[in-house]
Amino acid sequence: MTTEYVDAGTATNQGEFSGMTGSAPPVTRDIAAERLRDARSEPQNWMTYYGAYDGQRFSRLDQITPDNAHRLAPAWIFQSGSAGTHAGESTYAFEAAPIVVDGVMFLAGWDGWVWALDATNGHQLWRYKHEVPTDLSLCCGNVNRGVAVAHGKVYVVTLNAHVVALDAATGACVWDTAYGDVRAGESATVAPLVVKDMVIVGSSGGEFGVRGHLDAFDLETGERRWRTYMVPRPGEPGSETWPDGEEWARGGGNCWITGTYDPELDLVYWGTGNPSPDFDGEVREGDNLHTDSVVAVEPDTGAIRWHYQYTPHDLWDYDSNMENILFESDGRRLLGHFDKNGYFFVLDRTDGTLVSVTPFVDRITWGEISPDGTVTPKVYPADEGEPVHFWPGPGGGKEWTHAAYSPDTGLFYVPVQDVGATITRRRQDFKESVPYWSASVAVDTEDMAGYLMAFDTSGREVWRWHNEVPMCASVLATAGGVVFTGRPTGEVGAWDARTGELLWEFQTGSGIHSSPTTYSVDGRQYVAVPSGWGSWADGFLPGLIGGSHGDAVVVFALPEDR
Amino acid sequence: MTTRLQDVSQAVDELGLDRKNRAAIGRLTASGSVGYATEDADGWMRARVRIVPDQMIWEPSILVLPHGGDAELDVVNDDAGTHAALFPSNGDRQFLPLPSYSRGTARINLDGPGLYWFSSAIGNDQGSGLRGVILVLGDVPDHARLDRPDQPRP
Repeated sequence: MTTEYVDAGTATNQGEFSGMTGSAPPVTRDIAAERLRDARSEPQNWMTYYGAYDGQRFSRLDQITPDNAHRLAPAWIFQSGSAGTHAGESTYAFEAAPIVVDGVMFLAGWDGWVWALDATNGHQLWRYKHEVPTDLSLCCGNVNRGVAVAHGKVYVVTLNAHVVALDAATGACVWDTAYGDVRAGESATVAPLVVKDMVIVGSSGGEFGVRGHLDAFDLETGERRWRTYMVPRPGEPGSETWPDGEEWARGGGNCWITGTYDPELDLVYWGTGNPSPDFDGEVREGDNLHTDSVVAVEPDTGAIRWHYQYTPHDLWDYDSNMENILFESDGRRLLGHFDKNGYFFVLDRTDGTLVSVTPFVDRITWGEISPDGTVTPKVYPADEGEPVHFWPGPGGGKEWTHAAYSPDTGLFYVPVQDVGATITRRRQDFKESVPYWSASVAVDTEDMAGYLMAFDTSGREVWRWHNEVPMCASVLATAGGVVFTGRPTGEVGAWDARTGELLWEFQTGSGIHSSPTTYSVDGRQYVAVPSGWGSWADGFLPGLIGGSHGDAVVVFALPEDR
Repeated sequence: MTTRLQDVSQAVDELGLDRKNRAAIGRLTASGSVGYATEDADGWMRARVRIVPDQMIWEPSILVLPHGGDAELDVVNDDAGTHAALFPSNGDRQFLPLPSYSRGTARINLDGPGLYWFSSAIGNDQGSGLRGVILVLGDVPDHARLDRPDQPRP
């Protein structure tokens, strides 16, 4: 007997059953190089990952002040949920910096999700899903740090190492270019940076012995303009810092956090990650350029103009991917960087000359960096099977999450982690896609602390606010004299930028390990905070590895009758 | 203490984990058959996936695509129960309600090597065994690969 089937038709986009609108106003159509260069002149918008090319994470919005911050309340919440099987089922986290242009929020989630939302009420305008294999090699969870916008498009990378351009009005894919090898252990989590007519992205995978690189693609076509490897081949500049053999080929130095850009000097400043293997330095004698460095890159060619290595021959997993904040002082063009190794570096960003280096975390035992920049290692996993304990642990005195700088106060605001770790070297043979740490790692679950700290440009501490556990969300500074950040236990807070007084808090329900941003629509200032704990908590805060997962963007504002 | 090691497919069969409501209430995920998509002259890969009566399982539960690209799936529900297929696809997941004894089509795009899941997304179909895997073979394009000598793989 032949079965007479009911005609089920053709499968459709699941989003058609989500209540979304399906389209957004074409707000990014007129965003090009000039507008991005002057992004801070549009305080109603947060147009780039850091809000502006200088990486200051500072907004000129001033509606929320120390006097009224206690009246902040949720304006709306967007939740995506975690449905079905996906990569990193226990490590997915919400790490993005929401981008907002003229009342439309563009947001990246974990597992290849991108959403356009009405920034006044959270209504979903469109969504895009890039499928991510469940079996990717991911050191640090199923995460993405955000999108870039320009030329009527939204640019995002995917965990399987593609860079994708979406139509900003519909979410439809315009082009899709693979730029990493998932079989080799590469992935991608970085928020892209648009410079001139290019989108610049880096790769992840430093825990799997890949060779880190930075790539630029044509905004319109997705054609690759250049690729620069952070670890040189034999014979290239810097290759003398690697031993003979093939360690350079799996040397790490990945570019997994967004860089900053000085349009006048026409230099992009990008931080690089740890060398591989993380903890076994004997197999890679030498300084291991350009790992744990800032590289000043010419955007037209990808050429490295200069570099400064924050931790030569790293033995502690002290990536230097974190922001290099551009600021001016006494007429000098400077760059400020709070490194995982616990030191605050100020460089002359014209040529990479060290201006000052000062410790910013209480306990630093791995080694010492003198004021002239001389690095003296003291405690490191030198002997096979011998445990060593040091501070800061591999999560760093500050993790990837970002500091902010206010030109109004002249202060840097820094999320600080004071937590150590025990490392035992265990030599490994290298195999593609297999973790290549060469150590057993146990991060402390007791005797730790966190701080939100303010430093002046010389590295002098101005104030600190103590937390029971490390602080690991990005800080946002505003012209209202209020700084915002979140806590691993779920509270988002507002602090007086000049005194460090905690003015207001709200419990979002899940730990905050993201980059809050601010914007305004029709004269009302909003603060957007992705809340969703997970990621590599085993590496920076295992004491909270059992914390509640989450999937919300919580957006705050003062009451309408303010 | 000794631990007995056994071939997976043999053990799953002996334990009754490849049948519904024997050793456990449902079936061990993806313990069904393996199927291979065909590759047609128009560039599309094609395959049939069906829900087996009273078994809460996809047949095949592991669908192999020879490479990334576009695939057209003939989706059949031979079960008396109502289900709803959810397939991975770039752009958005593809959703297909499947009343009892129904048949439809899903067109999907997957762009690279790896394991992708599909399921039925109502009730506890996923936990009961209606969860499968799409295995995409192949490598990433040459232009995306690292410039380095060939390295050992596990």
